[in-house]
Amino acid sequence: MAWPNIFQRGTLLSRFSHHHVVVFLLTFFSYSLLHASRKTFSNVKVSISEQWTPSAFNTSVELPVEIWSSNHLFPSAEEATLFLGTLDTIFLFSYAVGLFISGIIGDRLNLRWVLSFGMCSSALVVFVFGTVTEWLHFYNKWLYCCLWIVNGLLQSTGWPCVVAVMGNWFGKAGRGVVFGLWSACASVGNILGACLASSVLQYGYEYAFLVTASVQFAGGIIIFFGLLVSPEEIGLSGIEAEENLEEDSHRPLINGTENEDDYEPNYSIQEDSTITQVKAISFSQACCLPGVIPYSLAYACLKLVNYSFFFWLPFYLSNNFRWKEAEADKLSIWYDVGGIIGGTLQGFISDILQKRAPVLALSLLLAIGSLIGYSRSPDDKSINALLMTVTGFFIGGPSNMISSAISADLGRQELIQGSSEALATVTGIVDGTGSIGAAVGQYLVSLIQDKLGWMWVFYFFILMTSCTILFISPLIVREILYLVRRRQAHILSE
Amino acid sequence: MAPHWPSILRNLALWVAALLLALGVERALALPEICTQCPGSVQNLSKVALYCKQTSELMLHARCCLNQKGTILGLDLQNCSLKDPGPNFPQAHTAVIIDLQANPLKDDLANTFRGFTQLQTLVLPQDVTCPGGINAWNNITSYIDNQICQGQKNLCSSTGDPEMCPENGSCAPDGPGLLQCVCADGFHGYKCARQGSFSPLMFFGILGSTTLSISVLLWGTQRRKAKTS
Repeated sequence: MAWPNIFQRGTLLSRFSHHHVVVFLLTFFSYSLLHASRKTFSNVKVSISEQWTPSAFNTSVELPVEIWSSNHLFPSAEEATLFLGTLDTIFLFSYAVGLFISGIIGDRLNLRWVLSFGMCSSALVVFVFGTVTEWLHFYNKWLYCCLWIVNGLLQSTGWPCVVAVMGNWFGKAGRGVVFGLWSACASVGNILGACLASSVLQYGYEYAFLVTASVQFAGGIIIFFGLLVSPEEIGLSGIEAEENLEEDSHRPLINGTENEDDYEPNYSIQEDSTITQVKAISFSQACCLPGVIPYSLAYACLKLVNYSFFFWLPFYLSNNFRWKEAEADKLSIWYDVGGIIGGTLQGFISDILQKRAPVLALSLLLAIGSLIGYSRSPDDKSINALLMTVTGFFIGGPSNMISSAISADLGRQELIQGSSEALATVTGIVDGTGSIGAAVGQYLVSLIQDKLGWMWVFYFFILMTSCTILFISPLIVREILYLVRRRQAHILSE
Repeated sequence: MAPHWPSILRNLALWVAALLLALGVERALALPEICTQCPGSVQNLSKVALYCKQTSELMLHARCCLNQKGTILGLDLQNCSLKDPGPNFPQAHTAVIIDLQANPLKDDLANTFRGFTQLQTLVLPQDVTCPGGINAWNNITSYIDNQICQGQKNLCSSTGDPEMCPENGSCAPDGPGLLQCVCADGFHGYKCARQGSFSPLMFFGILGSTTLSISVLLWGTQRRKAKTS
């Protein structure tokens, strides 16, 4: 088996300069902060719905109106909760739309400016949403909806930009494992957001928003002064140039157009790429790139399942097993843990194989099994946590891999080498389609759970996971054939 | 012409407000309306007069006994032909002693005394029961021409129900026989959901200095040599 150069030529780490480390950390934490402000919103939901409603407490004692019931935005906490759920859905849809747009913008303007602007402006919107309205005691449903739509659009600048920057710095040789580790940023953001929010929530929910928004704003400023969007900016050679020098590794992990029978490096393509034309490709061109549409559709199905676990797992646990909400919240972290380990390990394996689709396929097949297993989990916290980690490993892992490593592969495939400005657009398309799937899924899960029960929710998840496999099956077949041929060629040459 | 009326009225209101303000500044001790709504002054032998003369700092003005800050501590409205205490009555919520005898009051004073938490002595016509009933007072004495309710009781402790108020609320007396839920110690804000206060100076100090130092450090090590594109 042909091992990639990373294992032949010293360790992965020795090839990285301090610039690589700083870029990794800056992009990691900038996306973490964006995710933290989203998490804050879900953690202060109870406090917000308290603020928006009059007290429902029944007592013979006089409850002075100005303390207990002067706010009548919603008559009851249930309706406030319903509105907060609507805000979630609105956010996901505008986030999905924003991803398509900001990917295009990110490839045309400086990634650093777009990311920095996105972080600072979305921090300001969150500040107005949570803090200013409370300070002015101005509560208005339509204002909240509008602000949350704008926030979704601005937040969407984050993901395409950070993935593009990471794609610029980290070559495909070690991409799987680096991106696997890196995609822990969302989970770290969740934990960060939960910590920030809970530490100031006692002063009032407006301070939870104030703190996360301020930290996010500060992050935007640091990004502006510290981020190098690509090695070329400081005169280092770009990763394509590096990789083209290294025999074998220029072969893409995702090869749609390449002739698989031809195992020799295709020099004609390489020669073309020496003429660097830094012109961004159009949206339709990006959609037509091989692999983009199958992976987008697959990711829509997989992100649906993955996000449903995010949003509904604590509720399912407290609803189905009657566990306390705080405990269910804590327990659901194991799903994230499984996802991080899964993403890193599967990325590592796919780096060795130099093909990602077969790893995805195997993991998704096992995911179906783990879903069946999890749906039959006994009422025992440690067994449930274990099953949850396994499920996270097989569902969160592939999901992380598609949204980061595979998006970067797709945006940097050799068809567009030289015009590297496709990365953000492609990432935007993949994650945007995925987010639409997630938004629809939010609604469907609540509907199915309400009408048919939790068991059918799991059947729905299994169906969606199968659809994921179906959408990438052409790629799976092609890449497995390639692996088989490579093996035969290897055996023949010995 | 009609559309101009509101603005004229507003101007007029502003003038009146300014005039009142000027008068108020001139005479800092303007008497509350409740003290003058009934003609005459406090009778020499009334309970309010006796109370007021115990302390040299207290002064009688019209029907009221005021302290030096102008707070009403006593109110004597006896013989004023009142059917009910009237809209200005809550001005006297700080009173310790109130005399309402010799008035044709209707017997429905339950909510009249809301907020009168300092009230210790209330003199009523003979046929009017003490507000809040027997349980609200330490001592009720009936005479031929009047009735005296003495010593307001705090019903919060006597009821003994800890679940009387919503979360973070606590029971507080709100006049004779009346209770209300206010924020428990340390809590404030709407529904008493807030505790302590955020210190913006410290937070923004730490955040600002951290941001500045990281930015300078990263600019120096990363972006200084970057080509401006």
